[in-house]
Amino acid sequence: MFKKKTPMAAGIAAFATILFAGGCAVADTGKSGQVDYTAMTPHELAEYLIFEANGGGFNLSQEMQEGGTARERMQQDELQKACSIIDDGKPDAETMAAIRTAAQESIVYPEGGIQLGDWKRGRELAWSGFGYRVGHNYDDHSVRDVGGTCYNCHQFATDRTGGNVGPVLTGYGKTRGTSDAILKYAYDMIYNPHVYFPCTHMPRFGSSGFLDEQSIADIMAYMFDPESPVNE
Amino acid sequence: MFRKALLALPVALALGATAHAEKAPEEVLQGLIDSIDSRYLTQSEMNLMMMPDNPALWVGMDGEDLFHTARGPNNVSMEACDFGKGPGVLEGAYVEMPRYFEDTGKVMDLETRIVHCMTDVQGFASDDPAVRQRHGSGSDHMKLQTYIAMQSNGMEWNNPLDHPLEKAMRDAGEVLFARRAGMSDFNCFACHGQSGKQVRASVLPNAKIGEDWTKAISWPAHRVGHDNVRSSQHRVRGCYYQMRQPGMLAGSDASIALISYWTDLARGQPAILPDMKR
Repeated sequence: MFKKKTPMAAGIAAFATILFAGGCAVADTGKSGQVDYTAMTPHELAEYLIFEANGGGFNLSQEMQEGGTARERMQQDELQKACSIIDDGKPDAETMAAIRTAAQESIVYPEGGIQLGDWKRGRELAWSGFGYRVGHNYDDHSVRDVGGTCYNCHQFATDRTGGNVGPVLTGYGKTRGTSDAILKYAYDMIYNPHVYFPCTHMPRFGSSGFLDEQSIADIMAYMFDPESPVNE
Repeated sequence: MFRKALLALPVALALGATAHAEKAPEEVLQGLIDSIDSRYLTQSEMNLMMMPDNPALWVGMDGEDLFHTARGPNNVSMEACDFGKGPGVLEGAYVEMPRYFEDTGKVMDLETRIVHCMTDVQGFASDDPAVRQRHGSGSDHMKLQTYIAMQSNGMEWNNPLDHPLEKAMRDAGEVLFARRAGMSDFNCFACHGQSGKQVRASVLPNAKIGEDWTKAISWPAHRVGHDNVRSSQHRVRGCYYQMRQPGMLAGSDASIALISYWTDLARGQPAILPDMKR
């Protein structure tokens, strides 16, 4: 989880105009040692309610699949801070440019170049919503592969119903071919889509460690392989 | 239409205590559907047809009995409890929650206020099953929440923001709603910032559209897929689960801040209580 923070911090820190001071100004009302919520800014209070109030508003001691605890998973990296905008707006142009640069720097390409894997495995991974869920019904990664949750937001082969939060990807390889440029574009979009769409709602499946190299190759095969039902 | 025939015998009207409700929940929803073009509101024709026989209505009837029965070590009924409008006054109380309560010095949502009533007024221990069991149609909590919430059916959401703590919690909730974190970088807007979007087969409510949002936050609701009546706190927990963020603790101030903000987003829109959801 923390490995993604290094390149981001350098790229965005200088532009992070919306960021607030890390420490909470916790005022004491004087009565029964309670903190005064009204003395904090909304950002300070939100952080206090997550991490401090009555030991934290979340089950912060739970261990996470990627290592570390829930407390660490709730901490924001630079991109998450920069893209957390009230009313879902976008940051200023400078910040957006810094996000794109940092996203580009975060992308690691496979040795020997981008390869297409097994579209059959990729089809099941694209469908699966399993992985990295915690709390009351913890996803045990030792019993199932982590899926890509792709169908949550995208339509692929139409024998299964996908969402429409993201664009339709039906016939993706058939209409676009398999040039190096389009393979790189798809790889980048899966790995860290902020390189093209800063502050997109799509997860960084590569940079975050959500999907490994083989799973990305298999999902890309599902998108590009002529035999895949996506390209029927 | 077929619905009209079913409307002639809504179970809601069998509940004496809801006699103030001029419209059945399905009529409140139909009014919203007639006022706006929304894929979210219209996505389940079956639920619309089933609402007059919503299983939550029966859970609410159980809650009515429970509410008015003397219980706990102190052997008093919940009529002694103040839900914001004076002891035992429930009409319109839920659409004005979360709110600040003088006796605890805190902003509380319905669930935490019920906990307060059970422990401080009725005398239950905090680890008593009546207090601890928050989920499921058979739980005291869901029976009581459903009954209390039904006394606000058709009324407009209007959680007070006059007290500085109410305003502070609402504003912190606004930050939480937009706060991206975790393995997927999601915030609430990832699913609730646009109209007509769906995740898999589910059409999602847009937080910026009041007519969508009042149905989204109209809990308790019978969730057909769970075959149980669910609460606001249960919905919050489920959202954080899907966002790959840690489990939010029931009744935490973080959860109440978020619910304060999401109620504010529906201000002025009529509540559908109880609702029925997929």
